[in-house]
Amino acid sequence: MIWDYFIIFALAAVLCWCYGAYAAWKDKANNAYVSTSLGLLIFFAFILTIWIVMERPPLRTMGETRLWYSFFLPLAGLIVYSRWKYKWILSFSTLLSIVFICVNLFKPEIHNKTLMPALQSPWFAPHVIVYMFAYALLGAATVLAFYLMFFKKQEIEVKEMVICDNLVYVGLAFMTFGMLFGALWAKEAWGHYWAWDPKETWAAITWFAYLVYIHYRIYRPKDYGLALAMLLVAFVLLQMCWWGINYLPSAQGSSVHTYSV
Amino acid sequence: MWSKPWTLKEGFALGGGLIITGLVLQLSIGPVVWDAFVWPANGIVLACFLLLNILIYACRKLFYDFRFISTYQAAIPTLVYAVALTILMGIIRQTVNGSWLTNMLSFWPFVLIYVYMTIILGQIILRHLLHFQWRRDIPFLLNHLGLFIALTTATLGNADMQRLKMYTMTDTTEWRALNDNGEVVELPVAIELKEFIMETYDDGTPKRFASDIEIYTIEGEQMRTTVDVNKPAEVNGWTIYQYGYDSSMGAESNISILELVSDPWLPAVYTGIYMMLAGALTLFILGVRRKQA
Repeated sequence: MIWDYFIIFALAAVLCWCYGAYAAWKDKANNAYVSTSLGLLIFFAFILTIWIVMERPPLRTMGETRLWYSFFLPLAGLIVYSRWKYKWILSFSTLLSIVFICVNLFKPEIHNKTLMPALQSPWFAPHVIVYMFAYALLGAATVLAFYLMFFKKQEIEVKEMVICDNLVYVGLAFMTFGMLFGALWAKEAWGHYWAWDPKETWAAITWFAYLVYIHYRIYRPKDYGLALAMLLVAFVLLQMCWWGINYLPSAQGSSVHTYSV
Repeated sequence: MWSKPWTLKEGFALGGGLIITGLVLQLSIGPVVWDAFVWPANGIVLACFLLLNILIYACRKLFYDFRFISTYQAAIPTLVYAVALTILMGIIRQTVNGSWLTNMLSFWPFVLIYVYMTIILGQIILRHLLHFQWRRDIPFLLNHLGLFIALTTATLGNADMQRLKMYTMTDTTEWRALNDNGEVVELPVAIELKEFIMETYDDGTPKRFASDIEIYTIEGEQMRTTVDVNKPAEVNGWTIYQYGYDSSMGAESNISILELVSDPWLPAVYTGIYMMLAGALTLFILGVRRKQA
């Protein structure tokens, strides 16, 4: 089964990303770009292969969305690195990606060919991919917030907060795409664009939570502490939306968003 | 507190006052009756709501409270309340016949906070419209006006939305359908099920189910089409969805359940949604613009 080859692709990609992260620390920007991109290419080759072998986009199960997440984290890291040249960002994105790869190695979940009729739609891929990319960017913002709040000894600099802002703006933009693509798709599939299904309710919560951050940053640009704390809270809410509701008693049996079987 | 200019504290206090007001309303007159908002009531309410927004804006010079509505100090607490109430909605199981926290959509504090948020949106939209600058306000309006339009029209238009279930049998023509209350509704379109199509994967799980149907309209038109999950058909303002089948019969089912949906407010809601999509695009392209300060 194709899934058995995951460890080979993942190992190759992780090695590339690790070297890329190392090169970034050593100020060898070009090496970092090339190596990280190569890793992304290898990882994406695997995603593409299982896409072809399974004859459907690998986006249905939690394991499959984790696969995309592991891919998008280094991609988001690479974009941030190319824009703001932060040495540590590739290390963080690689580390996070490794965590998700490990989860997939140790708990691969079921990956079969079946795709129920409700998911057979041109909206499926953009809806989930865009969301995963948003989660990756907001994950990066969370890591940065964590670092600034608890590990940075010196005073937080303005440009660091601007990175947070940028990550959140772009992350929120993609989250908006994901949410509204979902609404347009829901109309096609279920007859209504918004039905306050538990997944939709939590999507709204997450969306509003990041709006709180954005507006607070404009209102009190110099109060870093509370703004960063908001990022941490918002990311916890995002986790509820992503997988937490699978364990939430109130959502059991009432969500039409459960496909992981 | 309450020394001007007001801060987040006053903002939170105002929102809290609104929640208490909502609780009193819930106790005294009961939950929000959304079904009452059928056309033309919703049209009138929308017109009044827009007028109210303009009035508040027009009187902003006279009352400090009205000016306050369009500030971050008002917007941020309201968003926080919206998050908190929506979290309650996400944690507590919602039921159609529920009350208070088990039916948030008709719970006054929830509704009032969302209405207040919409008024805040209305106020800042008016301010930006009256002091319009291209580069600043196009992204701003796409995001904020888009959300304003989507929120108002989706909420008020909901009562006009009809979702009906039609049980069709092979080779018979059906023009009656059931609404959510189980009442029979006669439709201006009739549907004849030619064939129910079902394909399964090797393990027996459904791969495709669809209905090959002939549609007749009251005007005498006739058309043949196939309705698949994710591929509804349109006729005379009705969208026809594949909803279900006789699951005890599986692929042999000669009953297909179709859902017929009519939502006259949909174009307005979609205008808002498309504006927000365009707004998100500007957010992505332009990123953060730091405040000149």
